[in-house]
Amino acid sequence: MLRTTLAGLRMHKARLVTTALAIALGVMFVSGTLVFGDTLQAGFSTKMMGSAGDFAAVAVPAEDEDAPADPEAPAPVLPADTLEEVRDLPEVASAGGMTRGDAPLLDKDGRAVGSMPTIGMGLGDGTRFQPDEGGMPEGSGEAALATTVAEATGYGVGDTVTVLDSEGDRHEFTVSGLVDFGVDGELAYRGVVAFDEDTAREMTGAEGYSEIDVTAAEGVTDAAAVSAVEGVTGSDADVETGTAFGERLAKNSGADSQMLTVALMLFALISVFVAAIVIYNTFAILVAQRQREMALLRCVGSARGQVFRSVLTEALVVGLIASALGIAAGLGAGWAGFAFGGEALGADTSQSLVVGVLPIAVGMTVGTVMALGAALLPAWRATRVPPLAALRTSATAQGLEKGIGWARIVIGGVLFLVSGGIVFAATNSTGIGTTGLVLTTVAGLICFVGVVVLSPLLVRAVVAAVSPVMRRVGVASMLAADNSRRSPKRAATAMIALTVGATLITGYAVVNASLKTTMDEMLSEQFPADYMISAPLDEPDAVIPDSAVAELEDSDALGSVVEVHQAYAGSGGATGDMPVSTYIGATLGEDLKNDAVSGSLADVGPGKVAVSQGYAGDLKAGDTLPVATGSGEKEYEIAAVLEEGGTLYGATLSPRDFEQAFPDADGASSVMVTGADGASAKQVRDAVYDAVADAPTVGVDSMAEMKAQFDDVLNIAFLAIAAMLGLAIIIAVFGIANTMALSVLERTRESAMLRALGLARGQLRRMLSIEAVVLCLIGAGVGIVLGIVFGWAAGVSAMPSMVFALPAGQISVFIGVAVAAGLLASVLPGRKAAGQSITGALASE
Amino acid sequence: MSQTAAVAAPDHSTQAPPVVIARSLSKVYGAGDSAVRALDGVSVEFARGHFTAIMGPSGSGKSTLMHCLAGLDTASSGTVHLGRTDITRLNDRQLTQLRRDRIGFIFQSFNLLPMLTAEQNILLPAQIAKRKVDRGRFERLIDVVGLRERLDHLPSKLSGGQQQRVAVARALLGAPEVVYADEPTGNLDSRSGAGVLSFLRDSARDMGQTIVMVTHDPVAASYADRVIFLRDGRLVDEVHAPTAETVSDRLLKLES
Repeated sequence: MLRTTLAGLRMHKARLVTTALAIALGVMFVSGTLVFGDTLQAGFSTKMMGSAGDFAAVAVPAEDEDAPADPEAPAPVLPADTLEEVRDLPEVASAGGMTRGDAPLLDKDGRAVGSMPTIGMGLGDGTRFQPDEGGMPEGSGEAALATTVAEATGYGVGDTVTVLDSEGDRHEFTVSGLVDFGVDGELAYRGVVAFDEDTAREMTGAEGYSEIDVTAAEGVTDAAAVSAVEGVTGSDADVETGTAFGERLAKNSGADSQMLTVALMLFALISVFVAAIVIYNTFAILVAQRQREMALLRCVGSARGQVFRSVLTEALVVGLIASALGIAAGLGAGWAGFAFGGEALGADTSQSLVVGVLPIAVGMTVGTVMALGAALLPAWRATRVPPLAALRTSATAQGLEKGIGWARIVIGGVLFLVSGGIVFAATNSTGIGTTGLVLTTVAGLICFVGVVVLSPLLVRAVVAAVSPVMRRVGVASMLAADNSRRSPKRAATAMIALTVGATLITGYAVVNASLKTTMDEMLSEQFPADYMISAPLDEPDAVIPDSAVAELEDSDALGSVVEVHQAYAGSGGATGDMPVSTYIGATLGEDLKNDAVSGSLADVGPGKVAVSQGYAGDLKAGDTLPVATGSGEKEYEIAAVLEEGGTLYGATLSPRDFEQAFPDADGASSVMVTGADGASAKQVRDAVYDAVADAPTVGVDSMAEMKAQFDDVLNIAFLAIAAMLGLAIIIAVFGIANTMALSVLERTRESAMLRALGLARGQLRRMLSIEAVVLCLIGAGVGIVLGIVFGWAAGVSAMPSMVFALPAGQISVFIGVAVAAGLLASVLPGRKAAGQSITGALASE
Repeated sequence: MSQTAAVAAPDHSTQAPPVVIARSLSKVYGAGDSAVRALDGVSVEFARGHFTAIMGPSGSGKSTLMHCLAGLDTASSGTVHLGRTDITRLNDRQLTQLRRDRIGFIFQSFNLLPMLTAEQNILLPAQIAKRKVDRGRFERLIDVVGLRERLDHLPSKLSGGQQQRVAVARALLGAPEVVYADEPTGNLDSRSGAGVLSFLRDSARDMGQTIVMVTHDPVAASYADRVIFLRDGRLVDEVHAPTAETVSDRLLKLES
């Protein structure tokens, strides 16, 4: 029996090529992801280890875990004399110390880089960082930049950069080299400017050491060096071996690569799922086509069990071979992914490919189990073939699948209703956050099952709806319309594979577009200006220099300039500090808007306050709000209680009341600026930057740039997700091509008859193309509809204020892709059908 | 066997001009030692309005002859004329055009498209050729073949005889210069077969339709005006106004 199965496989290998490809692609994604993840992690590790592992001991200041977390307190340091003491130890060959402080680097516009000042680091001799490019900074005229900073600012080795010292004075340095500080959270986020030790102390005013790296004297073990250093530092420092220190850093960064692996795995599973659908369909069709063969086996005495096993064996062999191919391709994909993505993710790209047992084992298992699972039902069906079927003329020339399938309609309808109910509940209840998202996902899955159940009817109905048009177009499209209705179950399964991808990609496109629109609206509402100029973030009481504000107000290029003054007050109704603000130069309710729960923002005036809901508690408009001001407690009438999440937060007073209440807070914490009518974007920008040129640490945010940055992030995310889902779509196209090829095989004689009746080769090919395109369009169309509905539902349930946006451009691209996919899927089957000789086909059975 | 491959009898060619003329038609499959001569210098004519049957034992080349005559297969040497057209010189596109406009086909099985109704199947060639349907001829045809009640049935709802009558109606609707039928009754019981055959004979007599039929059934052949016999790719015999008995006798002689 096994021999029969294997002989059959050899004979029909062409039929199984696309199936094997579908499995292989799914497996490739899975094993490729695992290999990529492992290699990435190893790449992170070698980088971390490479720098730290060479040192016998690394000492960092001990974190006082009992102390209350106070962001303003200076970070603990190792006392300045520690380094000398460590160097004097007999166990120590050499030791280097690092210092750390703030050293705001200015970008090419003369503004401080980032919203937090860059870290100024003193790299003494013998510390663990080495330059990637150029050399270490030496003397008072040189500085080295972190590679990330260099990339963000565009500075390179040899450029002159300006760095502010602790007093805010400018100093110029020549960039001596670029240092890769790796993926360490704070260093990567804030960026680093490195100096030699003396320059660093001068610039940042930092004292002591933030880290001491130690190499052991000859013959001294790392552990001995660690305990020797501990003897010097006592409880001031955490001392560990370089290896342990590196491993700890690597582990922290490993979390990133793990997240990435999990996310990729999710997409890999989608591909596997789609591949399983494709395989199921292929086996189902093959079994149907080989009814006579099965019956013949039964006639010559095969038991049902043997037939069952023979189909499963076939699946097993295909699964094993395809999985092996998939793993090989996965290794390639993992390598390519690491080669292209590794550097962007900050891993050491010289890392060679890490191939563990796990990716291979998982890949083999996934591929084989998937193939076996998909073949179970077709195999069972094969056992139901009665031996007598061998004597019937042909099983393939049977009539159309008939019957309305009331059971399908009822089950599908119920599933739709349930799904709709959940969506209704999820989108209409407020404040359920992630629960809503989970509910929507569940509803989406239920709805999808409904679509699967109804899909044969759906295919038939859609084709019936469009066939009058198709009949009129020409004989090829007429035949295609009729062919599409022949085996709706088969067509539906092929289509569903595509629907999965289309649903996900459209759903995400809708969420993406809606997020963009929502964010744009929120930005223009909360940020009703072209530029926002704000005091440095790291000093809570900092204000924008009056001279800068005055210059902004005097500029011709600028229209409205709104000064925001802010102070903190204790409030009777709420715990903690309540921010109290006033907006000088703005008409509340017009220039600045915020939806009110009660009252109206426009009514704020002398003695009247607007307060956000969180601080209002149970108070309503007309009630009295007590505010602990700088000059004693005062009471204001509430003009409006404002919704949370809007422009205004805390209490908003009229300028006069604010001045009386907080006479000390007379500086602007931020300024909102709008360009004058007729001023060009460049004029406005120059006016703003000129005004704040003397205050480099003051932040300047442009509405347009923020929008562009936000759009960039969303676009990149969309492209990445689309690329990941692309593979699932390719697998689905394989499935459609396979279904078409098998149909062509089944209709060999019919095609020959059509050719004999005068159908040209081109028409035959066109017929198949149209058939495939119709199939793809239905599949994609269903997916697009589902994607829009559930993209909307997911967005609204997770973010009730979401503004729905339909990404019409992207959706029309998806439709174009579906048409292209159909054409592509029909190329080979079409060639085969058209190339067939008429007489050969007529003679064949 | 004294008769060699010969041109059809002169008395027939005088009474009606030939529609299809084959000259020294040969067909060789394969090459070298494994070459098989399926047709070996066959010359034959088919007169307008005649119903001719091609007979011969299995492997005698009767199907190959029909395929070459119909332009479905290309001959290795020799010519086939349909009217004034030498079809052996036509390319694939021209052959497709020829089949569309000037030839009708009836096959043994798989004759109809399962997803089209009887009427749609009958009209299919006209649609493929973008030809206007002669409604009057259509009405007459479906009455003669007795399908009026079943026009909107799918093939799966028709009996084998009915399906074959649909195929006959389809072949005849466009009034082609010649209709080729390949074992049209091979899958039918004798009564349905008789119905189809007498209809073919009547259409030759009444409508002047030229019909060439391949069969191995002497009874089917007896409906024809003339039977030609093939053996080993050569034309070896022919009978005019055949009966089932005469055809059987000749066949037995051929086989021996």
